[in-house]
Amino acid sequence: MSTASRVVRRLEEVPFLESRDASLLFVLPGLFVFSTFMLFPVLYLVGISFTDAAPSNLFAGEGVFSVMTFGEATFVGLQNYIDVLTDPEFWNSFGVTWLFVATSIVLKLCLSLGVALVVTNDRVRGRRLMRSFIILPMGLPAIFTITVWRGIFSSAEFGLVNQVLGTFGAESVAWLSTRWPAFFAYNVTEMWLSYPFMVIITVSALQDVPEELHEAATVDGAGLVSRFFHVTLPSIKRPVLFASILTAAASFQQFLIPFVFNQGGPARANELIVVYGYREALSFSEYGRGGAVSLIAVVFIGAFMWINVKRGKLADGVSDE
Amino acid sequence: MSLLSGIVRKLTEDAKNILAVPVETARDVTYTVEAVRSGKVSPKEPLKTVGATAGALVMVLALLFPVYWILQAALSGSGASLYSANGISLFPEDPTLQAFVWVLGDIIVPGYSIAFNVPLTDVALVFDTPQVTLLDASTYGIDRPSDFKHFLWNSVTVAIPTVIIAMCLIVPASYALSRREFIFRRKILFLYVLLTQVGGGLGIALLIGLYAIYVQFGVNDSKLALSVYYAATAVPFNTWLLKTYMDGIPVSYEEAAVVDGAPPWRVVTEVIIPLSTAGLATVFIFTFLTGWTEFVVAQTLLGTDNYTLPVGLYSLVDEYSIPWARFSAFALTFATPIMLVYLFAQRYIEGGLSFSGMEG
Repeated sequence: MSTASRVVRRLEEVPFLESRDASLLFVLPGLFVFSTFMLFPVLYLVGISFTDAAPSNLFAGEGVFSVMTFGEATFVGLQNYIDVLTDPEFWNSFGVTWLFVATSIVLKLCLSLGVALVVTNDRVRGRRLMRSFIILPMGLPAIFTITVWRGIFSSAEFGLVNQVLGTFGAESVAWLSTRWPAFFAYNVTEMWLSYPFMVIITVSALQDVPEELHEAATVDGAGLVSRFFHVTLPSIKRPVLFASILTAAASFQQFLIPFVFNQGGPARANELIVVYGYREALSFSEYGRGGAVSLIAVVFIGAFMWINVKRGKLADGVSDE
Repeated sequence: MSLLSGIVRKLTEDAKNILAVPVETARDVTYTVEAVRSGKVSPKEPLKTVGATAGALVMVLALLFPVYWILQAALSGSGASLYSANGISLFPEDPTLQAFVWVLGDIIVPGYSIAFNVPLTDVALVFDTPQVTLLDASTYGIDRPSDFKHFLWNSVTVAIPTVIIAMCLIVPASYALSRREFIFRRKILFLYVLLTQVGGGLGIALLIGLYAIYVQFGVNDSKLALSVYYAATAVPFNTWLLKTYMDGIPVSYEEAAVVDGAPPWRVVTEVIIPLSTAGLATVFIFTFLTGWTEFVVAQTLLGTDNYTLPVGLYSLVDEYSIPWARFSAFALTFATPIMLVYLFAQRYIEGGLSFSGMEG
């Protein structure tokens, strides 16, 4: 205890700190570790995006600090950014990414709300057990699930989806080698990957809706549909909004689905922005360009989260005590 | 310790409940049938219940079909592919556990000799423990089993440090953010919310920078360095989650403890920690899973010798053909423990993710 109180006394000597600010010490380690591993690479990436770095020149120099000073890569100013921003492939990837965010969030919301309403319905017996099973996909490693879905959407005639289509007499679809079917496959997989998280949050929100509100609405003659829109929805709005923002941000950064399915193909048409940056950097060995793309992605996701957190007032709630 | 025994008690309760389900259902059914027969309840009501339950069951089965499909592939033997020419079959034709044997390989507890020197004499007692063969892969016709155990060891040595480091960073921070008022508190909270979802995905965007830095410090093949990285990415989301959970604990409990004369550290160990079990369990599982299932960064940074389970799993996949039976058996062996944890920890996860501090 004596060390702690000595620290507190020290803190009081710093002009703009008070003794209660010692609690900051609890938060600093986490903040420090996070910044080292996140902000540092960001700064490095900013540096690299102004050079023509590639594996051949970046790791060419000798000594510990040569990588830090970007090896023998030369400074090219804004060239990478100009290249990227005038490249139609970048804009295609940018557009596809936002489209993916929009479509997948609608699908995820509909599915999870539906599932959550079913597994909290009073009429359904064995709700607890069903809820346990329904969140199982969350325990499966993403890389496994995505490879399995690749098998399901296999373009071959024997892929599961094509077999199901076949039993209804429809033609086989070359899912992964045509653009929009592949995009559809991404959406379905993304939906399946993230519904457990959304369902858990929605279910706990639904359970917090006071029973009296429903009873009062029923007494007033509200039907099932109007009760959903006027009682249930307003009470679960906040948690569900929060979950949607989180999964929307996750969709924006989706990497594994396009990468495992068809490397963002066919012919780079469906490269979501993170895949685009990754491929520029590691498949085509253009570290500088890849860095520029990644930074642009970082800026956009940052802005997206910032707007949502501000507009959705997610950071208050607790800060206003 | 009380925390642990509490968990054990709840688990046994869960197990009992699950075992009691068929009995309860049977009793319910007979009761309802009686009531309908004697005309106390209109037959419409139970029919509605049965219909709703059946509908819900169909939905659950449809959602979980991919899991079942993969289990079936794993059971269908080593030469199987997922695609059969004669339509979808719901059951494998000749179920075999061969693929699982391939995954597990030999499980042999080697014999040890244990020697005791009897003090003050030259006599030594030597015990030889017998070699215990639990599973010998070669008897099932498998000569080269997978490296599963090697990958498993790597994953464990990555995931456990991840959890320890992350918990040390997260728990004090969430307590301070939830209960104390200090300089920059709101700013840090805002930053964390902003960064909640950024960890994993941006890791890929930042991969080039991360890779260069790791190579420069010579830790690109170090499992510990990887766990520190995972712990770091887990900080914002989990701190925010646990803080929101702690906000739901009424302050009056702490005030009561303070009035009773408890020093601050006892307030934390006796009030806050026991009351936030659900939140802690959720954070524990989430941080564990970060290390257990992450793929892209692990693949980029680790060498073949240090591959973790997800990387090892994906290394089975060829560009054009996937050995489905082995792949699925490998993945299921790897995922089953996590799924079991999910099944039993479900009530904690639901409680932990409820964002109870966030009012509508």
